[in-house]
Amino acid sequence: MDIFVTGYGAISCIGLNVQEHFDSLLNEKSGIKKGLHPHSERFLVGEIPLTNQQLIDRFQLKANGSRTGLLACIAAKEAFNGQTEHPELKTGIISGTSVGGMDISEIEYRSFLKEQTHDLSKYKEHLSGNAAEEIANELGIDGFLNTISTACSSAANAIMMGARMMLQGQLDRVVVGGTDALSEFTINGFRSLMIFDENWCRPFDESRKGLNLGEGAGFIVLENSKSLAITKSTPLAKLKGWSNASDAYHQTASSPEGYGATLSITEALKVAKLNPSEIDYINAHGTATPNNDLSESQAIKKVFGDIIPAFSSTKAFTGHTLAASGGIEAVFGILAIQHGYVFANLNHRNVIEETKLMPVTKTMKVDKVRNVLSNSFGFGGNNSTIILGEV
Amino acid sequence: MSDLKETLKSQIIEQLSLEDITPADIQNDAPLFDESGLGLDSIDALEFIVLLETNYGIKISDPSRGKEIFHSIDTLAAFIENNK
Amino acid sequence: MKAYIKKIESIGHQDSFQKENCWSSLQILGADTQIIAPDFKEYIPAASLRRFSPVLRIAITAALACKNENAFDAISVGTALGCLKDTEKFLQTFIQSESDTLSPTAFIQSTHNTIAGAISMALGNHAYNMTHTQNSLSFETALIDGLMCVQEGKTNVLVGAADEAIPFLDLLKPALIQSELPLTSGATFMVLSDEKTGKGIIDCSVEFNATNTSKSIEEFLTKNGIEPTQIALTLFAGECPTTIGEKQINYEQYTGLYYSSSAFAVHLANDYNIERGTYTLIVNHQIHNKLGLTLVG
Repeated sequence: MDIFVTGYGAISCIGLNVQEHFDSLLNEKSGIKKGLHPHSERFLVGEIPLTNQQLIDRFQLKANGSRTGLLACIAAKEAFNGQTEHPELKTGIISGTSVGGMDISEIEYRSFLKEQTHDLSKYKEHLSGNAAEEIANELGIDGFLNTISTACSSAANAIMMGARMMLQGQLDRVVVGGTDALSEFTINGFRSLMIFDENWCRPFDESRKGLNLGEGAGFIVLENSKSLAITKSTPLAKLKGWSNASDAYHQTASSPEGYGATLSITEALKVAKLNPSEIDYINAHGTATPNNDLSESQAIKKVFGDIIPAFSSTKAFTGHTLAASGGIEAVFGILAIQHGYVFANLNHRNVIEETKLMPVTKTMKVDKVRNVLSNSFGFGGNNSTIILGEV
Repeated sequence: MSDLKETLKSQIIEQLSLEDITPADIQNDAPLFDESGLGLDSIDALEFIVLLETNYGIKISDPSRGKEIFHSIDTLAAFIENNK
Repeated sequence: MKAYIKKIESIGHQDSFQKENCWSSLQILGADTQIIAPDFKEYIPAASLRRFSPVLRIAITAALACKNENAFDAISVGTALGCLKDTEKFLQTFIQSESDTLSPTAFIQSTHNTIAGAISMALGNHAYNMTHTQNSLSFETALIDGLMCVQEGKTNVLVGAADEAIPFLDLLKPALIQSELPLTSGATFMVLSDEKTGKGIIDCSVEFNATNTSKSIEEFLTKNGIEPTQIALTLFAGECPTTIGEKQINYEQYTGLYYSSSAFAVHLANDYNIERGTYTLIVNHQIHNKLGLTLVG
């Protein structure tokens, strides 16, 4: 069965929609800057320069709670692109998040600790599954909903589950992706792990020190042939492969030899029935932590051998958007295929000594991008890979 | 110095939630991050950094120095003495 | 879709762990109920155990108690609120700390997939590993994923769910849910396979805008070729929206209140003695309009 991608939507510090993202990628314009809020102003982060109310007003959203939910609705709405509920189609929404409504809970809990007052009703926003429900409400969909929370691989896993449900005939059409807002919780969390770079991050660079956090949402719409015949959407790409494997090495670090990553890349290629040589671009997870980039490089070398395709991490553009990253990067993969581009791995000076892999350092037009492989690796050793291809 | 070592042992037990271990169980020269010592891991190394700053006001900004400084109670105590 | 339950274990406020039949020692919970826990040291090495919060302890132990001679070829876990104790601890850490250097352990363990990740680490398991968190239907979506894995040819699938209560939740309770039941913790794990052993899960469905729950239930049964008269037992949470079921029991009086308690209802269904050709229907109606239906037989 063919799985067609017929819609895409994204919001992050480099754009409020897909076209703005493409422009930023073409112009090599990163959105990582000093933050705008008390909890982020000391750090370089990928923050969207609009308040919650501005987001609600600009995008005419029904939702008005957690920022995570707002971002999800914006990207999902763009992806769905005016499609509607249809009685003959089984439609679903699968979202990914790690922050959920923590952006609200942390404010109330702080008030509780410091002043012994808090608004109890606000804690309802905390629940991780809310964003999926808000998307459903925004798009007018009454169908299967699910939320996956596997840290940084959440969106990729949501895409994978959507595909599997379609293959099993449980869904004809599904909106899949992920979302996370910046929060004090995650900023402090990554700082406590000492994998947070006070300077602009340097993915796949020998001197890399850690990540810059970002926020955003990225969603795509998957349809089968039956759905396509009814919606008459124009396919942008095909979802060809997917996989999830466990590193089982450490709660936060990846195995140095990239065992779990090798498994997920290999299995995704098998699902897609593709040889490594048929991948024209890898959008790497590339968080710029010492551990991830080495581990991922080892896995890429193991699978691709001597002929490494063009690869880059786009996290020096957007920051690490956690659960949204797989969704936003799927959008980048589709743009690469549509327009025949590979995107820059910004802020790169020297290759990693141990592996010597050279990423693409300038955004450039190429002859063709037939297939894109996108990695998303999360805490707990959760390794996911998706493969997108031309229609 | 030996008072410091005994204090360190109690602080480590508390910071790392080492249930069922008493200060008497920790040898001064035992390699803390080895199975023959306490079998600690990289998360514990980060907790050590917190312990050093909270209790001794010593800040370590490069986590990769951890394994060398925290090798044993002896090396840790020496480091604290030298950086007071 | 169908899968057989090869093994099932629960740890919570009932004395259910490693019991032949969990009905034999069921007690209706009182307000001061506590978790009935085994000796975790028998399952989890001290080096990891020292860090683990209550939800991690009960979930990992229940999961490990389900293992067999084959590696699990998929692990799917549902949790609505994840690791709450660590989440609260990290909040306290950064809100109250005067230092810029923060203790990381609570943050590391606060992500929802810590449970599933810790299970894979304890077993050295490299298979598919997923965490589902769709609020009151977190277990059902994890189960649907597990059933899909069996359809895809996986033969040794671990599915489970866990949630924990912390004292702070009691403060929030009045704003979140109207109920006399105590807030509790619980973990249930089961092994699904295509091996015809004992009871199986015939189907599981979820609905997020269930305005006519009786109709939803009738359609669910019809879809699976089951007559209402074949339902020997209905286990429900929230208001029971149906008259179907020779016997009807509110499982929350045994689980207490936590979002993924319908997993324990599967354990109850698995251990319930029913005649051939009859079934147990689980109706998770904890939250208004959100309906989870599971058929066990």
